[in-house]
Amino acid sequence: MEEVKKVRRPPDPNSAKYKLGQIAAKAYSDVAEAKARGEKIGWISSNFPVEIPETLGIPVCYPENQAAGIAARGGGARLCQEAEDAGYSNDICAYARISLAYAKSGSAPEQDMPLPDFVLCCNNICNCMIKWYENLAKELDIPMIMLDIPFNPDDEVSDAEVAYVKGQFLEAIRQLEGITGKKWSEEKFQEVMANSCRTSRAWLAATSMARHTPSPFNGFDLLNHMAVMVTARGKKEAAEAMETLLKEYQDNHEKGESTFRAEEKHRIMFEGIACWPWLRATSTGLKSRGINMVTTIYADAFGFDYDSFDSMIRAYCKVPNAINLETSRDKRVKLCKDNHVEGLLVHTNRSCKLWSGFMAEMSRQIGEACDIPVASFDGDQADPRNFSEAQYDTRVQGLTEIMESRKEGAK
Amino acid sequence: MITLGMDIGSTTSKCVLLKDGVEIVACALAPAGIGTDGPVQAYREVLLRGGVPEREIRRKMATGYGRKCWPPADGELSELTAHALGCHFLLRSARTVIDIGGQDAKVVSLDAQGRMASFVMNDKCAAGTGRFLDVMAGILKRDVDELGGLAAQAAAPAAISSTCTVFAESEVISQLANGVPVPDVVAGICKSVAVRVAALARRAGVKEAVFMSGGVAQNAGVRKALEDDLGVTLHTSELSQLAGALGAAVYGFQKMSK
Amino acid sequence: MSVQIVLEKFRAMAANPKGQLDTYFANGEKVVLVAPVYTPEEIIHSMGLVPMGAWGADMALNRAKEYFPAFICSIMQSVLELGMKGAYDGASAIVIPSLCDSLKCLGQNWKYAVPSIPFIPMTYPQNRRGDVGKAFTKAGYERVIADLEQATGTKFSEEKLAASIAVYNEHNAVMRQLDEALATHPEITAAQRCDIYKSAWFMRKEEHTALVRALLAELDAAGGGPEKIKVLVSGVLFDSPALLAILDELGFQVAADDVAAESRQYRTDTDPNLPPLEGLSEKFSRMDHCSVLYDVDKKRVDLIVETARSRDAKGVVVALAKFCDPEEFDYPLIRKACEQAGLPVVLIETDRQTVNYEQAKTQLEAFRDILA
Repeated sequence: MEEVKKVRRPPDPNSAKYKLGQIAAKAYSDVAEAKARGEKIGWISSNFPVEIPETLGIPVCYPENQAAGIAARGGGARLCQEAEDAGYSNDICAYARISLAYAKSGSAPEQDMPLPDFVLCCNNICNCMIKWYENLAKELDIPMIMLDIPFNPDDEVSDAEVAYVKGQFLEAIRQLEGITGKKWSEEKFQEVMANSCRTSRAWLAATSMARHTPSPFNGFDLLNHMAVMVTARGKKEAAEAMETLLKEYQDNHEKGESTFRAEEKHRIMFEGIACWPWLRATSTGLKSRGINMVTTIYADAFGFDYDSFDSMIRAYCKVPNAINLETSRDKRVKLCKDNHVEGLLVHTNRSCKLWSGFMAEMSRQIGEACDIPVASFDGDQADPRNFSEAQYDTRVQGLTEIMESRKEGAK
Repeated sequence: MITLGMDIGSTTSKCVLLKDGVEIVACALAPAGIGTDGPVQAYREVLLRGGVPEREIRRKMATGYGRKCWPPADGELSELTAHALGCHFLLRSARTVIDIGGQDAKVVSLDAQGRMASFVMNDKCAAGTGRFLDVMAGILKRDVDELGGLAAQAAAPAAISSTCTVFAESEVISQLANGVPVPDVVAGICKSVAVRVAALARRAGVKEAVFMSGGVAQNAGVRKALEDDLGVTLHTSELSQLAGALGAAVYGFQKMSK
Repeated sequence: MSVQIVLEKFRAMAANPKGQLDTYFANGEKVVLVAPVYTPEEIIHSMGLVPMGAWGADMALNRAKEYFPAFICSIMQSVLELGMKGAYDGASAIVIPSLCDSLKCLGQNWKYAVPSIPFIPMTYPQNRRGDVGKAFTKAGYERVIADLEQATGTKFSEEKLAASIAVYNEHNAVMRQLDEALATHPEITAAQRCDIYKSAWFMRKEEHTALVRALLAELDAAGGGPEKIKVLVSGVLFDSPALLAILDELGFQVAADDVAAESRQYRTDTDPNLPPLEGLSEKFSRMDHCSVLYDVDKKRVDLIVETARSRDAKGVVVALAKFCDPEEFDYPLIRKACEQAGLPVVLIETDRQTVNYEQAKTQLEAFRDILA
């Protein structure tokens, strides 16, 4: 038999995938270059208002993205182990363990990132973030800027919370000006806000294309593109790339094509952070059964579309994981209904106490509200030791069999 | 029409021959599971017992953790669906199925037609599984089949509370060191499995009739503790250990008769 | 009253919170549960309600597993377990702050798991020092007040709050005095020391103050006892009877603590010269040295070392509640600082479900040999 060589097509520089990939890569290289020039650079948590560093022109990079990248490329266990050797419990969030281990050595072949001169922490996704950044700041002996956006037990964001966050926002700017010597420009801020909204609108529109059957994209795409939403949504290039993505999904839909390269037999929502060390296993387990993950809360998470300073603050107070069970549930129920979801697959993520801590009750309620089956599996966003492929496979198969049997029953 | 179900677990292989989806022709159980010749043994035995030539089997379905490693299979299904179908076969009124397997515990809810409506399984921890009982039996130097009988002799079940097999092991050892009688320790072990599975069952929602499948269903200690905890009667059958294989055979029949 | 008689009283209170709860109900009192780590107890007290600590209990966790995954700390799990099993039935409300991620989850699960006891959230700011932080604390307290009024039908007044603040400040002072006194009384066992602190959660503070005062008076009269090995204990909780028995058996004396349920509660007083509610918010702005209160300088770590030194403690025993991530993050820094200060540290992993601390015993035996 003749050996068939897989021909790799050169990437189309006009494709969204290429553009988004470039932006994601540039997020690291820009900061590395700035560091080399002697500029002060920061590490920043994923839902810190990107408008602040972007307006000030401060180079920042994202430890969460780095940890995910390291985990996806097989370095998770090694760095987790290094953190454990330094005394950190293996119960601690694996992103934090990887990051704290990295901060010690300053290098990882899977994904390098310059060490910070300060850290920017926002706890609107979890309080674990505070502890992680406290330790970074203490161990590296650098300043920490803390923007506290508390978990909101109520359905609405109170005026008291807006006032509190606003006050801190202004204080954070003041601190950063002091550290970097850069100055806040109102004009630039308006521009960044406009870009951020434009990027977010394109993202929301693109992800909502999953409402079509079949969906014009494989939901696992979103996990990759999300990196740009996290790091670069305030940049013009990001807005353009997201608009390209939307256009591609629209074209796919018109042509009846999809980036989901299999027959779309079932449509599910995936709950939780990806299992980065087992991305292929988790994705294959779905694709081989014709299951497309058409939506995740990430589709909604970066919908930072606002029209004023106050509404921007409110948007950051309403990110997933900062909101109560009922609001979280309703957002998901809407995504499930809008996108004709037939099953819910929940990643019980050992690294994320907040995300998993009330998920049992919430997923019960979502299942009932949408009349869909729910299955969960144990895993971890970055520590490969907390996942079992056989367990995953059985549960996904169980979920599939219920979806199949329901379809047969409906015939 | 003859169909066959093969359930390959972590420690045993079970096989059932079924006629027309309603009549069990033969069963076999080999005390060796995935990665052994257990499936081969069970297959050979069931054919011998059933007196059915291999070519007459219209469909062979595999289930269990080893479901993908049995070459003769025409298809495979998860043990969730298999247990749902098998238990529905054994008890038509079953709406909840509890199965404590070697590697995991599962609770399956059935709709009125006997179809699986939902399921929950244990978290990644051996406590509450058959494996836990195996480890504990090992510490006590007893056969796992003896545990049910021993538990029945208990005066007061010992408290085995740890969630972790490793810690539970040291608890058991220190209970024994403190002179707690073996039956009490065994009853404590059974109870600790039962409370964990009961929590799982409540998470799924318990609707009667409740059927218990899998090998642990034969362990009266666990069964009784589970009944006490949930406040329901647990139905079981002498064939409960074969429920997965039986369900796989039923599934094969359903697929072929479509 | 002799020392032993007073200690017996503390013991009875600490060992039987349910009995205490029933006594309050029998007297027609309304009880409001307060979850870890900090809540505005003064407000609850001022409204004529009895604040009662809900830090869970040592028990097997079954029902809580319907809501929590296994990797949430057993303190939160056991609070929910007790709620679901009816141990708190009759309480008018529970106040749960969102100081850590597991507490946030406890609050959300509580609404569905224990619908008969209303959940009152308390949202504290982490940037608590500045004016916006203090204003946000105050807004949080106002929300708690409104919810309490609704749940219990009682009315809030600033005057009454001022009186309750005085009660709490006095209790704080007496607890600090106690802590110092016990450092010089090795004859008081670790278990007895724990009873005194634990009972504070199940009594009105004025009653507790009176009892502690009685003890202090008796201690003065009694003199000391034979010396033991002084240690500082740290953790969210240090109340496992099995663990305390091991400390006592091995001849350790708790010379100081950095335990969230114990001394961390009593370090900061409210300024009585400020308007009461403002004063209470201002108090929170000064609270520190705790794993759930943001502190980039990790002053908690330094305080542990300083306190251990000033009390002449020979080592530090850290009881780390399994899955309590705020404490887990601090531990490597505590270990490092103690090592630099020449203070040996032993780490004991604790869990509400653990009955048997055989492994910990082995560790503590070795630790004793190191310190001796």
